[in-house]
Amino acid sequence: MTQESTINSNNKIRDFGREIFTLIGSSQPSAFQKNFINSKLLAWTLNEPDFKNSLFRLVDVLPTLKTADSVGKHISEYLSESAGKINPLLKYFFKLPSYNFIPAIISKIAVRTSIKQMSKVFIAGENPQAALPALKKLYSQGLTYTVDLLGEYSVSDQESLAYLSRYQEALTVIAQEAPGWKKNFKTDPNHLGLVQNCNISVKLTALYSQTSILNLDQSVEILSARLKEIALEALRLGSGIYVDAEDTAHNPIIYATFKKVFSDPELAELKFPGVVLQAYAKHSEELLVDLLDWAKDNKRPIAIRLVKGAYWDQENAGAAQNYWKSPLFQIKAESDLNYERLSCLLIDNIEHCYPAFGSHNVRSLSQICCYAEEKGISKNLFELQMLYGMAQPIALAFASKGYLVRLYVPLGEILPGMGYLVRRLLENTSNDSFLRHTFYDQKNVDHLLEDPAITLNKLNQVRL
Amino acid sequence: MINFKNSSPIDFTIPENLTNFANVLTAVNQLIDSEISVKPIVQGEKHISSNVYSRLDCNNGKQVIAQVHFANKELTTTAIKKLKEFLPTWQKTSLSERANILRRTAKLMQENQMELSALIVRETGKNWYEADRDVVEAIDFCNYYAELALESLAPFITQVLPGENNTYFYEPVGLAVVISPWNFPLAIPCGMLVAALVAGNVAILKPAEQSSLIAQKLVEILFQAGLPTEALAFLPGDGEEIGPLLLESSDVNLICFTGSLAVGQKILSACSKINPEQTFIKRCILELGGKNAIIVDEDADLDEAIKGILYSAFAYSGQKCSACSRVITIGSAHQALMDRLIPAAKDLLIGLSFQSKSFVGPVIDHEAQTRLLKLIEANTKLHSLKYKSNVPSEGTFVPVTIFECQDTNSDLWQQEIFGPVLAIKQAKSLAEAISLANGTKFGLTAGLYSRSPSNIAKVSADIRVGNFYINRACTGAIVGRQPFGGFKLSGIGSKAGGPDYLKQFVVPKVITENTMRRGFSPD
Repeated sequence: MTQESTINSNNKIRDFGREIFTLIGSSQPSAFQKNFINSKLLAWTLNEPDFKNSLFRLVDVLPTLKTADSVGKHISEYLSESAGKINPLLKYFFKLPSYNFIPAIISKIAVRTSIKQMSKVFIAGENPQAALPALKKLYSQGLTYTVDLLGEYSVSDQESLAYLSRYQEALTVIAQEAPGWKKNFKTDPNHLGLVQNCNISVKLTALYSQTSILNLDQSVEILSARLKEIALEALRLGSGIYVDAEDTAHNPIIYATFKKVFSDPELAELKFPGVVLQAYAKHSEELLVDLLDWAKDNKRPIAIRLVKGAYWDQENAGAAQNYWKSPLFQIKAESDLNYERLSCLLIDNIEHCYPAFGSHNVRSLSQICCYAEEKGISKNLFELQMLYGMAQPIALAFASKGYLVRLYVPLGEILPGMGYLVRRLLENTSNDSFLRHTFYDQKNVDHLLEDPAITLNKLNQVRL
Repeated sequence: MINFKNSSPIDFTIPENLTNFANVLTAVNQLIDSEISVKPIVQGEKHISSNVYSRLDCNNGKQVIAQVHFANKELTTTAIKKLKEFLPTWQKTSLSERANILRRTAKLMQENQMELSALIVRETGKNWYEADRDVVEAIDFCNYYAELALESLAPFITQVLPGENNTYFYEPVGLAVVISPWNFPLAIPCGMLVAALVAGNVAILKPAEQSSLIAQKLVEILFQAGLPTEALAFLPGDGEEIGPLLLESSDVNLICFTGSLAVGQKILSACSKINPEQTFIKRCILELGGKNAIIVDEDADLDEAIKGILYSAFAYSGQKCSACSRVITIGSAHQALMDRLIPAAKDLLIGLSFQSKSFVGPVIDHEAQTRLLKLIEANTKLHSLKYKSNVPSEGTFVPVTIFECQDTNSDLWQQEIFGPVLAIKQAKSLAEAISLANGTKFGLTAGLYSRSPSNIAKVSADIRVGNFYINRACTGAIVGRQPFGGFKLSGIGSKAGGPDYLKQFVVPKVITENTMRRGFSPD
């Protein structure tokens, strides 16, 4: 692109983004709302990194604890000041009595309630039945959903199979109810034959306990058989399906399984099987080209959800401990820039895929909306995706402009869902969080809408 | 801080690494088909013997991996004599030159990382991942001790004063005999050997007979890296035959051993005897067994605990001195853990070491298999058997076995087993768990899964082991990062891959010179 056209398109994106911010107005996502139980706490953690670490470790362990004594012990160990006193904000948070020392009298119920309330912001329900009202509400707001079942890790096949049947149960329960709900979409999500009785996102590797790159062939074989069971059920019930991304080490297994399952003639009628691509990985462009080639060669259009990436710490720590090069871009703006590049590539290949742009970053989303418009791609040929509980105002703003917005909605009990909850809390409060910059730091709109290429340039200049 | 960086293991998530490794294994198989022999090397010369041991493939119990010629007494005596003659020359070789040989050795191993791993896979039945970590550890030992020697063995001035020079030197101990086990067939002999050599000692390597081929490869690489052939003798052999000679010789100054407590005791008694013609105190460095426990607290993250326990207990069929052989659960953690651990153990992939997917492979040889099968059989009557896996019928496989321990004075709870056998016991409290963990004669590694800062602090303070791991597996120490070694009856040596290790291979000497002449100082 010439310099002039870059400036022009950046101006367009900025104007588009400003409009989104105007639509957002003063509304806040639940996690940042004043009445959200942890808003004060959140504010505090944002400014106290040590406290934040302790708090998240506490949140991580709390659901495991069975007695009031042990709850009290952990709270006091993680969060008490040196003299054993509890920070007053914590008392507020956990609705603790106003004693200075944490005794066993702390009500286990009070703490559980607090955590539960916090988790409700991000987790729609403990089981599919319980999540129905939340899903129904999304339809009425003009939003749609994909359902994820929490359960972070299967240590045995017994657990993997239980997980598999939970997916089948979720599909059945939701697909029975959802068709009757009132939908307020401004675009028609069914135009491509994408029947939306339900949509699920599958964490693939949890379906086989011995998933390992050293066990590649068997992992792909067993995971394929199990994914196929879920996919057949999805097909039967008229549901869509995404295979979620995990750490990049699992990419060979995930993509091989995806291709194997959706080449199966029995699943030919399942339209736009979905797969996820993480733009923070350096080799993501290569992967995307490969997926698009596969779709072309097999005449099998696929849904591709493009996200920034969710396993940042884990992947970087793993690489550092083995002295491997990190597979990820190390600067946030590089990931953002790559995201925009890959977004364009998806739009350019729209006849082979149904792209979904998963992000809370208004700049990233505005860029792709503008690019699609410039290419004459209609709004209902792609969709935007966001996480449940994280960014409703942004989701509603885009939906009101006629884009289809799908929320990624986790279901499940808190204990297995803890990993998810902690990740979301960390995201909300990280220094790089777009949501934090928007809703907490309230950074200048034009700064938030800056072209990542320019951000990167500035950073490079500072380095020189 | 020394200038040292760990070497990288193979990243198997890169698909071409998987393919390359499979190809290298095929090449190694062809090499083995061509009937390799291992021979003693003295003064750079290979010697044949009439006493030949056939190392059999533990994957099938049949195929010969290598024909190992055993050194006899005569050759051993010659080796000792010739090495002693070369000691003054080697001792005078500069520290930097000796360190450079280690660096070149590391580089050669790095260049042949997959080939060496593949040999280990075939000769000792390690799976791909474990074999590669073995090679990485060997490379790390070379690089680490090279840098450590330059930093910590160089002479230094004790105090700067007018009229007097005071210099602290390190001299080698003399002739070191290195007796290595088969379970880390490259890393352990390499670490002990290069430590002895870089400190200026001449050395004999007597490897476990089961891993003589990879040991010979190590010696060849050292010579290729420039080690004078007069500085090292390679004596594969029968411990019964040449052992006494190596231990009792009045020309051997140091015995460096990693292995069982029983053999360690023999070495210790041999060192305590002073022969009439002997003019020094014989030194020994012993790294012995373990009876390592992992404690699972009530608030443990069981996803992590199960992963860590299975890896620590059953990787390489539990044949690591650091392996977890005991799990101590606290209170309510017991049932919760058992409910998930047993099904998880059932899913472990047991198979041939050269198949990449195998998590648990065969044990080292038929003798070990027979011993372990008997032990499992006997304990089935004494304890509550919770799980015993099936195993392939060919090869020296031993089932993955889990007992709930009924008696903490029993051999199951007290003695090192060195196989895929895990004992589990419930404790009522943290204090009882610590006391159970400490209640053996060993003190090598231990682990704790807990999310209570105060419990973590308490166990860290009270656990009596050399290496304590929190919320992770209790095996897999990395050179320089987790210097490794235990105390109690687990060893008297300092930690391998740590800052104190090399000092065991030297004797310090202080030289003081009065520089005043007729009231004038040259300073």
